[in-house]
Amino acid sequence: MAKPKVATDWLCGCAGCHMSLLDIDERILQVVELVDLRSSPITDLKEPDEDGVTVGILEGGINNTYNEEVAKKMRERCKILVALGDCAVFGGVPAMRNFFGEDAALKRAYIDAESNDDEGKIPSSPELAQMTRVRAVHEVVPVDLFIPGCPPDADVIFYALVELAEGRIPEIKGDKLDWH
Amino acid sequence: MIKLTIDGNEIEVQEGTTVLEAAEAAGLYVPTLCHHPQLTPYGGCRLCMVEVEGSRTLQPSCTLPATAGMVVKTNTQKVLDARKFVLTLIFSERNHFCMYCQVSDGDCELQNRAYDEGMTHWDLQPNWQPFEVDASHPFMVLDNNRCILCRRCVRACGELVGNYTLGFEERGADSLLVADYDVPFGESSCISCGTCVQICPTGAIIDRQSAYQGKETEVDHNIGVCVECSVGCQRNVLTRDNRLVRIEGEWDAPLNNGLLCDKGRFLPLEDDRPRLLTPLVRKNGSLKAATWDEAIEAIAKRLNKGEGLAAVASTRQPIEDLALFKSLFADNLKAELVTTLEEGKATASAAKLAEKLDKSFEASLDVLKDTDAVLSLELDLVDEHQVAGFFVKRQLMDGTKLLVADGKENKLAEKANHKLELKAGDEGQFIENLYKAIKDSTGDEDMIKAAGVLKSAEKPVIVYGQDFTKNADEKALTTLLEIAEILNASLVGVKGNANSMAASQLGMEEPIKEKGYQTGFVLLGDEEPTQKLIKRFEEIPFVVALSAYGSQLTGNADVVLPVTMWAEQSGTYLNMDGRLQKAGRALEAPDGVLTSQEALLKISQALSIEPDLDWQASLTARKPTVEIKAI
Repeated sequence: MAKPKVATDWLCGCAGCHMSLLDIDERILQVVELVDLRSSPITDLKEPDEDGVTVGILEGGINNTYNEEVAKKMRERCKILVALGDCAVFGGVPAMRNFFGEDAALKRAYIDAESNDDEGKIPSSPELAQMTRVRAVHEVVPVDLFIPGCPPDADVIFYALVELAEGRIPEIKGDKLDWH
Repeated sequence: MIKLTIDGNEIEVQEGTTVLEAAEAAGLYVPTLCHHPQLTPYGGCRLCMVEVEGSRTLQPSCTLPATAGMVVKTNTQKVLDARKFVLTLIFSERNHFCMYCQVSDGDCELQNRAYDEGMTHWDLQPNWQPFEVDASHPFMVLDNNRCILCRRCVRACGELVGNYTLGFEERGADSLLVADYDVPFGESSCISCGTCVQICPTGAIIDRQSAYQGKETEVDHNIGVCVECSVGCQRNVLTRDNRLVRIEGEWDAPLNNGLLCDKGRFLPLEDDRPRLLTPLVRKNGSLKAATWDEAIEAIAKRLNKGEGLAAVASTRQPIEDLALFKSLFADNLKAELVTTLEEGKATASAAKLAEKLDKSFEASLDVLKDTDAVLSLELDLVDEHQVAGFFVKRQLMDGTKLLVADGKENKLAEKANHKLELKAGDEGQFIENLYKAIKDSTGDEDMIKAAGVLKSAEKPVIVYGQDFTKNADEKALTTLLEIAEILNASLVGVKGNANSMAASQLGMEEPIKEKGYQTGFVLLGDEEPTQKLIKRFEEIPFVVALSAYGSQLTGNADVVLPVTMWAEQSGTYLNMDGRLQKAGRALEAPDGVLTSQEALLKISQALSIEPDLDWQASLTARKPTVEIKAI
């Protein structure tokens, strides 16, 4: 039997969940034994295979039209979609801006910030993605498994990957359930 | 007794028990959020819903009285689904993003309940409505964004403390926790007792001193008695890496039931007096750092002479220290004066009468928790012995009558039904007048009215403070006892500091003379000396001070020994109603600092004295004003 294919990507997050994935250290060799790690921000291949993967993992919430597109593409191409980390599960720290709105957030970052020059300028180009409210992944596409945590513990990630590789749905409860 | 069935277990409970209490008594777990054992059941959060056979809908178990034959189920799928739904609704109502909350990861009841239900996410997204954070209070931050509207704080402020500062304005999702009529928390009528911050299940009220300094599981806990006054509240001193983090009231304590005042909870962490870390000996007119041996030698040399010796100890010290102090100075060195900083003002007159009558005439503090009329004599329970004041204040809404007799400014009098003028020095006359008003209904109108209130009460309490006991003579107190007998009233003497009563039992309650002592020995511990005491000791040619902190008194002294403060020593305390309670050591003392006990033993050794360490016997050698209960 062919090894299950796994693809990952990051959206509106801090890359910390992927760092936590790397924190499984030498156990990554066991993971590679069990699964075929395809596209990810930390491998050369950047998009999930067109003919599909078994498990798609997304880190980060969805804060613009580009993230929406990536999330939808991952959903279309994977059987099991995993929301990894508090941003993907809840919206996380970036969702703080929802309490103030996108305009206020842009103004603070590009005009009012102390490091800007006197005028400041909010980037606007048709080529740039459109900013939206920060959403959890499951607000945009259906999610099959939620692994909260900021970031999720490396042990929890390892446990989840092994379970998924062996065809089971991991149970995130007890010690493994920690939103931080 | 009634019988009901919960999850197949037949349970027998008293009538009036709620289903939640019945389930808990049977060891069954039903999750709650708005419920708190010290508060009246409220039924606000709906997390404790259970299925009751014959009921159309799920019922909140916290407010549902158990009835005979009732069949209850606490863990059906319907119940579990409802719990998750309730939690989802609460999470979605405001900003409950745990990753940037102070209480996340262990200290939040909301998060813990979600973990218990195995929730990995919420199906509903929050209502993105921000509320202003109120950081105007010196000890607490009020953050409505984290509030789940359980009203525990509001109920605690009213039901337990009787202060009624916190309340809600607006309704539904717009409900806002506010202080008074929506004034900044720091400018409100709040008395900083901190019960609200202790009872809040989420991060809606945060303790500023301990925020981000460690979670419940990361700190050390040390349960013991509070040493700030004679009420004797049980508290939990939380420390981490030999540093005070926070102080909490013990919910299970039979006397204070979790309550503390600002002096017991917040102010000990604000203490920034300069610490003494080395012994000091005066050489050529100025105080110089010395070794313990040098300092002890200087003290022993002086004490050997023994004449005109005044030995004064703080009533904040444990009984063990006071008894050792008394044995050393009174029994062995035959000092002219062995007393405390209180000089017996809060205890001597009543103690003398109890001894004479061979009768303990004062009652347990518990009488203040259930009374319909309180007469307070020269005592401001809003300002001092505050927790005893909470017991009174919280009953006023239920019709308990408060009569305050005082001659100076008294904050408790603002809440009084009757105010009576009692000038310092007029205690005898006042008691005489009260006696006549009660016995013969004669006297002035105010007094007769007050007497009427007391006479019609079923469980009246007369409570008196040290301003009363210091002036009341034997005749006044004897008449007061007669009044109590006629009214069938309980008497409560609040006394002074933490070990005021113990010092009285040890017979350390003489007044300090203005002049005439040759040597002064003062065991200050961590007590701040008053200006009066500093002046008295300035008159004495040679002064030894045992103190944790530097002060004008230690600056004037000839030998100073650095000793521990309250958190660095352990010992026993006798509170105002005769409860013997322990205070444990929560912190390691700094290098070079000894406990007062160790310092006194060093001095004894240098003088070849073997002091008597059996304090239990000395404590009961004299008939106490209130019965002493064993630990």
